[in-house]
Amino acid sequence: MQEVLKERLVETLEDLKGEGFDYLDKITAVDYSTYIEAVYMLHNLSKGDEEIVKVKLQVPNPSLPTITGVFKAADWYERELAEMFGISILGRHVKKLLLEEWNGSEPPLLKSFQWGKDYKKRD
Amino acid sequence: MAITRINVGPIHPSTHGVLRLVVEVDGDTIKGVEPHIGFLHRGVEKLMENRMYMQSPSYVEKLDYAAPLGWEDLYVAAVEKALGVETKEYAGQIMTVLLEFQRIASHLLWLGTFCNDLGQFYTMFMWTFRERAKVMKFLEDYTGSRMFYVNRRIGGLNRNIAPDFKKRAYEVTDYLDKNIKSYRKVLDANPLFMERTKGVGVLSRSDAIEYGVSGPVLRGSGVRYDVRVSAPYYSYGKVSFDVPVGSNGDAYDRYMVRFNEMLESISIIRQVLASLPETGDALGMPIRLIGPAAKPDEVVVRRELPRGEGIIYMVPDKQKPYRISLRAPTFINLSVLSRLAVGEKFADLFSILGSLDVVMAEIDR
Repeated sequence: MQEVLKERLVETLEDLKGEGFDYLDKITAVDYSTYIEAVYMLHNLSKGDEEIVKVKLQVPNPSLPTITGVFKAADWYERELAEMFGISILGRHVKKLLLEEWNGSEPPLLKSFQWGKDYKKRD
Repeated sequence: MAITRINVGPIHPSTHGVLRLVVEVDGDTIKGVEPHIGFLHRGVEKLMENRMYMQSPSYVEKLDYAAPLGWEDLYVAAVEKALGVETKEYAGQIMTVLLEFQRIASHLLWLGTFCNDLGQFYTMFMWTFRERAKVMKFLEDYTGSRMFYVNRRIGGLNRNIAPDFKKRAYEVTDYLDKNIKSYRKVLDANPLFMERTKGVGVLSRSDAIEYGVSGPVLRGSGVRYDVRVSAPYYSYGKVSFDVPVGSNGDAYDRYMVRFNEMLESISIIRQVLASLPETGDALGMPIRLIGPAAKPDEVVVRRELPRGEGIIYMVPDKQKPYRISLRAPTFINLSVLSRLAVGEKFADLFSILGSLDVVMAEIDR
């Protein structure tokens, strides 16, 4: 596990990819209220090693650079992060993925999200 | 010719769930596919953050209704790791048998519906469902439920196996072995099946890794990666089995990988049964709302589900997860559809989608 600065993220992942971590398992995030932590899970398929890279993001208005240039697998994960945590992904156009027709006031996986507030019956 | 946009779904017999595809075609040739997902989004991760640990197994089971046991096991294994509890060895042996039966049932369901997608209506479907029914009956007899088992408890299982478990398991594997092998003769001699799978939807080895696909889709492209081998759990480290891989990465190779996996599963089951004691204690902790408290360290658990590699990343709180993130294998397998389908004929779209074996409940979570 290693923690890097946002500015060094793309560079770090490129280095790790060069070292044999050629497979992106998942990108996810955890909301700790005072900051959001993005978690990049990498995998070396031939050796079976795992590596986790974490980035702390400040709130409000968290943002991350896109890593689709390093791993193409990042595409849908970044779209998911953007709508579930409200993280803006810099350097690419992010379309909605899972909640296409939903216009909630707050990204649902943030801890401050309130249940049922945005629930509306369909016409 | 001008580009035409065609809408497919969200309700369509070949999308295996609620999936909408916007397809751009030039004549008959696909120029682009955009999947629209999220119709089945229930917010499972959010729900689980607000439930006690052992209230959630029935949520994760509904992620993949074709193979619920794998997800249930993955989740409870993550909880066990957070609590620092070991699975009983006897329970692990039984679980290996059940999980492999589940894999066979899942692949049989896929094979039947895949042949439907290819326009061979209901012959293979009836056969595979006949075999699958045997497996379902077996699982029902020893877990108590036909579809959603909720059989796993912290440290073990919900119930011990009945005395005739081994005998019945041998009977079912013999039956499956005979019948599944007979499919090959029917399918490989069928020009329609071969034409619509060979060379269709080719995913190269490097692309398979780059796009992060897993399971039979990854192995169909020639990557020999299986969690059961690279990080064995339960009895997988003690049995010997082959990891089937393809060479061309087309729909036919993905079919072959799944087909051979069923035969390997039968072999695994027989090996585990041979060393399975007649009696033992497999019982886990009974479900209590307030259970033992978890350690706060993050937990990563991997399992080879029938559709690919399932991962749970969990940050535990004492009695419930602070954050739980599920890596659904078909979520990322579906994302390569836009790449696989471009340049193919529109009629082959469902051959490609079918060969990816998607389950929408798992993709949308």
